[in-house]
Amino acid sequence: MNTAAPKAPAIQTRNLRKCYGGQVAVAGLDLEIAEGEFFGLLGRNGSGKTTTLHMLSTLIRPSNGTAIVAGRDILARPVAVRARIGLVFQESALDRSLSVEENLQFAGAMYDLPPDLVRQRMDELLKLFDLGPKRRVLVAALSGGMRRALDIARGVLHRPRVLFLDEPTIGLDVINRRAIWRFLARLRQEQGVTVVLTTHYLEEAVDCDRVVFMSHGEIIGSGKPAELTQSLATSILEITADEPEPIIAHLQPLLGDFIQDGNHLQFRVRDGMTALADWQRQLPAPVRALALRQPDLNDVYVWMNRSAGRPSA
Amino acid sequence: MDESQRGETIRMRRAISAIIGRELKRMVRQRGRLLAAMIRPLVWLFIIGSGFQALVEGSGQGHYKQFMVPGLLCMVLLFGAMIAALSLVYDKESGVMRMLVIAPFAHYWIVLARTLSAAIAALFQALLLMVVLSSLRLLGLDYFGLPAHLPLSALGLVLTSLTCATTGMLIAVHSKTLDNFAVIMNFVIFPMFFLSGALYPLEHLPAALKALALVNPFSYGVDLMKHAVLKDVPANFSADLSVGTDIAVMMAYITIGLIISCLRFSQVSVREKMAKALSGSRRV
Repeated sequence: MNTAAPKAPAIQTRNLRKCYGGQVAVAGLDLEIAEGEFFGLLGRNGSGKTTTLHMLSTLIRPSNGTAIVAGRDILARPVAVRARIGLVFQESALDRSLSVEENLQFAGAMYDLPPDLVRQRMDELLKLFDLGPKRRVLVAALSGGMRRALDIARGVLHRPRVLFLDEPTIGLDVINRRAIWRFLARLRQEQGVTVVLTTHYLEEAVDCDRVVFMSHGEIIGSGKPAELTQSLATSILEITADEPEPIIAHLQPLLGDFIQDGNHLQFRVRDGMTALADWQRQLPAPVRALALRQPDLNDVYVWMNRSAGRPSA
Repeated sequence: MDESQRGETIRMRRAISAIIGRELKRMVRQRGRLLAAMIRPLVWLFIIGSGFQALVEGSGQGHYKQFMVPGLLCMVLLFGAMIAALSLVYDKESGVMRMLVIAPFAHYWIVLARTLSAAIAALFQALLLMVVLSSLRLLGLDYFGLPAHLPLSALGLVLTSLTCATTGMLIAVHSKTLDNFAVIMNFVIFPMFFLSGALYPLEHLPAALKALALVNPFSYGVDLMKHAVLKDVPANFSADLSVGTDIAVMMAYITIGLIISCLRFSQVSVREKMAKALSGSRRV
């Protein structure tokens, strides 16, 4: 690759939109994802993440707008786009009736890779995921974590320039999750792959270079995870009280907006007011629980939904 | 045209071989299915065939079992190709379909490659049956020797298997689930077999049934195989149509059937439904 040339974005969407019947699934997305970026598309189920991913990977056609993915237009040249991307679906893209080895050989053949090259890359990938001893085992006999690892190996076998991962760690235990995150980090480092991830486990997206929050098909906010959480608040003050009203009356002038869910309250706390004891002392009514904690991406999402005038779910 | 479109056919070689290889592996691994595919025609030959042979011998005609052989070879093709092609329905929600839809070739290739692999799996079963039938000669059961016309036999087997695979594919691209597999078996596969001239010559059928047999594409495969395989049989047991008609009808049917299947599979609504099913979003 010519590093002197100005870097074109790995993905650029223009008013990318998808409606099913009268229902808007994705409402005119304008996104730009740089080459080599680790990008998170976050939101709850039904927020339009997967639909976006499917449009970018040419599985479905947008109703309006288009996108350039890895230098190719998704409408004009879907096949060329598919040759340059990898996609790991929420559910396994493996043939359960074939062995580990046969699955990767099959996947390699789909990309017209010569068998020798497939064997060489397969050896590397299986070793990396500790799947070497399982190479002749049928996929049906693998554990969920192994299957997911193999699925990711399948998704990167042809060295895609952009790798899409749809909820890659859903249903996995912590050990398997960490292994997968380590692998993705390495892939980006060694091959400069652009990774686009969707997840509704927002805490998983902290390692992303940049995240976009989606809700009801729209982008409601974006930024670097650390900056987003820092700019939201220094801490989040959580209070559970039988009578929240006097507490609200007391704290709202001090802390501003709050989120109420029954008798559970959340306030954003800025610098210099971070001692839990201070808050405890000045509360006008008895509370059941009081906590002061670091904000995370879940909080960012909840507050973004709130300012967009939407329910947090 | 650019590098991604130019020579797509050539670049498909590996993908198509892999799809065929997978089909054959699955067939060999599902030994029950393979065994059933071999036993089914033998049951027809020895049980139904013996019964009918006794009947026709009474009227001074022999050779009924020899007459059945082309039909039974076609039966193996019919069942083998239809079941393999119909498995596309089941695969619509499976992992392998995810690998196929994300692969860098136009989606109609999936239909073409799956049709070809179903036909090849069926051909493999027909060849196996030929070996079984030939080895029966060692037991003195002489129903199947070297076919009368070898090249015509090969052409007949290939066209018939493609005809059956195309039929299976036409059903597969139009149906959502295979819950109705028994329905397809009873209302498509069996009628195609019974109304094909595989068990009796077409010429003596009542006009209505004969008309049905003539719209059944499978009939032309059976007829072509009769031309190719049968020798020294009485005139009333020989093929009903001309070789040219059989070949032309099957080629036309395969071409039109595949065009319809490819168009249907590439339809926006079908693709969207499949993308939804494949994304597993229903699960959450």
